Amino acid sequence: MKLKSVLTAFFAVYIIALSFIPLVHDALLAQARWMGYGTGAYQYQNQNYFVLFNDPYDGSSKPHIHVNPGIAPAARISLLEFSDWTSWVNEHNLFNEFNMTVRASPSILTVTYASPEIVVQKFVEVSPDGVKVTLESAKEFKAHLELWRWVMASINGISIKDAPKPLAITPTTTIEFTFEDERLQSLGHGNIILSAPPAQIMIYPHEKGFNKITIDFVNSRMVFTVSGSMEAAGSPSPTWDYTLLPYVLPVVAVSVVALYLLVNKYGRTPKDRATGRSS
Amino acid sequence: MEERPRIVLLAVAVRVAIAPFFMHAGDLYTIYESSIMLLNGANIYNFVYAKTLQLQNVTGLPVFFEGYAYHPLLVFFFVPFYWLFTLIAGPNPVMIDGHYPSVPLLVYPWTPVMLLLLKVPIILADAFIVYLLAGTDARKAKIYAFCPYVIFISVVWGMFDALVAVFLLASYLISSRNNLLSGILYGLSLMKLYTVVLLPLYVVRLLGRWRALLEFLGGFALTLLPVVYFLIASPNSIWNVLVTFQGTRIMGGVNMYNFIWIVQDLPFDLLVSMIPNILLIVALLFLIPRFGRKAPLLESTLAIMFVYFLFGKVINEQFLVSIFPLILLCRECDHRLWVAPFVFIFLRSPFYYFALPILWTSPIFYSYYVQADFVWRQLQAAGYLMIPMYAVGVAFSLAIFWNLLRILESTRAAVPLVPSAAAVRFRLMTGGLTRLIRSPLSSRELSRVRLAFSSGSRRRSMPWQR
Repeated sequence: MKLKSVLTAFFAVYIIALSFIPLVHDALLAQARWMGYGTGAYQYQNQNYFVLFNDPYDGSSKPHIHVNPGIAPAARISLLEFSDWTSWVNEHNLFNEFNMTVRASPSILTVTYASPEIVVQKFVEVSPDGVKVTLESAKEFKAHLELWRWVMASINGISIKDAPKPLAITPTTTIEFTFEDERLQSLGHGNIILSAPPAQIMIYPHEKGFNKITIDFVNSRMVFTVSGSMEAAGSPSPTWDYTLLPYVLPVVAVSVVALYLLVNKYGRTPKDRATGRSS
Repeated sequence: MEERPRIVLLAVAVRVAIAPFFMHAGDLYTIYESSIMLLNGANIYNFVYAKTLQLQNVTGLPVFFEGYAYHPLLVFFFVPFYWLFTLIAGPNPVMIDGHYPSVPLLVYPWTPVMLLLLKVPIILADAFIVYLLAGTDARKAKIYAFCPYVIFISVVWGMFDALVAVFLLASYLISSRNNLLSGILYGLSLMKLYTVVLLPLYVVRLLGRWRALLEFLGGFALTLLPVVYFLIASPNSIWNVLVTFQGTRIMGGVNMYNFIWIVQDLPFDLLVSMIPNILLIVALLFLIPRFGRKAPLLESTLAIMFVYFLFGKVINEQFLVSIFPLILLCRECDHRLWVAPFVFIFLRSPFYYFALPILWTSPIFYSYYVQADFVWRQLQAAGYLMIPMYAVGVAFSLAIFWNLLRILESTRAAVPLVPSAAAVRFRLMTGGLTRLIRSPLSSRELSRVRLAFSSGSRRRSMPWQR
């Protein structure tokens, strides 16, 4: 076989083989462990939840919990987002006024917020049943945390009709909320279970629902266990999601390589066109 | 007016008209910031290294701060123009916090002046390339002068690959006559470190001609003196910034490796990124001994660079500019290669990002920016842009591969014992080319130049006579 044919065959196989790497990684290596990437973000994926902990440049999504619905496992539906941008400990903003460091083990993400006054740690632990976010310090601290979702149809049975303005609800250790997803034509349920009753819980309306829950507490430790699920309410249309990319890239690779081989075999170079010869 | 200066002037005019109004904020801010630091006597590499250590401490990941990661000489090309700018506008900052992921604050009316002045070295490099090319073929000079891709990279993006290109081109053109100068020019082309893959080629070609080799390496060593200075002054910093950072980058760019961007697992990505590294070394070991001495320098240079484009793990959109003049000189290559990286620019970066100096002039424009950015980020998050980016990357790799095969085929055919008609034509062509560029590159008298060149041309084109 000519050298050109051998090299072409090698290169075609090389491109196509490489294109399967994301799929292989997703199937064999990406499940149920914290993975760091980009400029310092982390993510965790298991059968039910996808959790993103954003990079140090961004105060949002610290963490952002998504649910993978049973009716569309590849879809990542936002469940609840902790925001450092809008959270305070002892009146100091978590994003702007603390030095943050992140360390990951396969099962727990440990985030340390340090200021001259206090050191607070946030642990994020994901299981098939839910996501546990723990705030802990050696001494008691006063916290104001904001949890976001665009948008929640109801919170502890209260709908937007009942609370057109920000409303303080009875401090409780269980917060239940519902939400809808138009793309999937489905209804979702979310739960936040707190390890101790907080001092105050406020809910904030925004257009069609509530977009924010604020929780104020004074304690040395508080655990938020977040879980959620979705069920179909109609006939969902097939939806595209980022998680489908690993399946698409090999198709793209095969298509482009096939096109190259066809053009290489039957196409004519500019010089050939000028002389009227086929290559 | 003669055609040659007319093309050069037109090329400069087009660039000067565009330069003040566009930029890639991250890359231009790096040059701006480095120029300020150099004028203040600060160590650029210490700054970048400190930022990297800070980032690694915060994240617990082997991530790097993307600042000035170039040859120390590079910033000296920009500093005079920044100094000139401070004479006009004063020392106050006009561009604030442009490092990713921030978008910079820009101060008017000075921003356009600063953009124009910082791009002058790039525009001059483009002009000189056009001048050299026009000496051999006005059509090729026009292609370079008015190629949308080259113009975009040089004066819209503000990336300095044209400097790499001009030094690489000049090193090639002078190589037959002055090895010392060729070594210096090649050393200067290392402003972006990827041309280092050509060093073994230059060395292999000069093996056996020890004086020539020493001259070349001597010239090359001269350009490394600033690196030596920094290796003594701040060894950890420059090593981390130039070697560790470049060596441990995740593969990707306009190539078949950008699929890795969807695999969000840094240790795994770094491991997989070793695959092209290994293949690059294997390919170079295969290619340089077989073709390095036999093939003409132009073809062998391009073959090595094409191999780098295939197996180098990071191929950014602008890299092709550095070899674009050589591609234009090569009869076997298709210069339309530029289309793929040009398309890729607009898939990877939103088009409005380059127009920040215009958009930042008005709060109304700024609101348009915010709206457009919201849509762009949604497209990005959904993965819609990744599919065409990957397709373009694979297509570009295949186009490079096709050009590489053409060169290898022509080289194999062009090394018979008896010179073919094609080889004779090539000698005539390169002879004409070098005669045409002799004035800017040499001060020797004409007859000596012609004599010196013709022997060099024989050396390049007829290796069987060595």
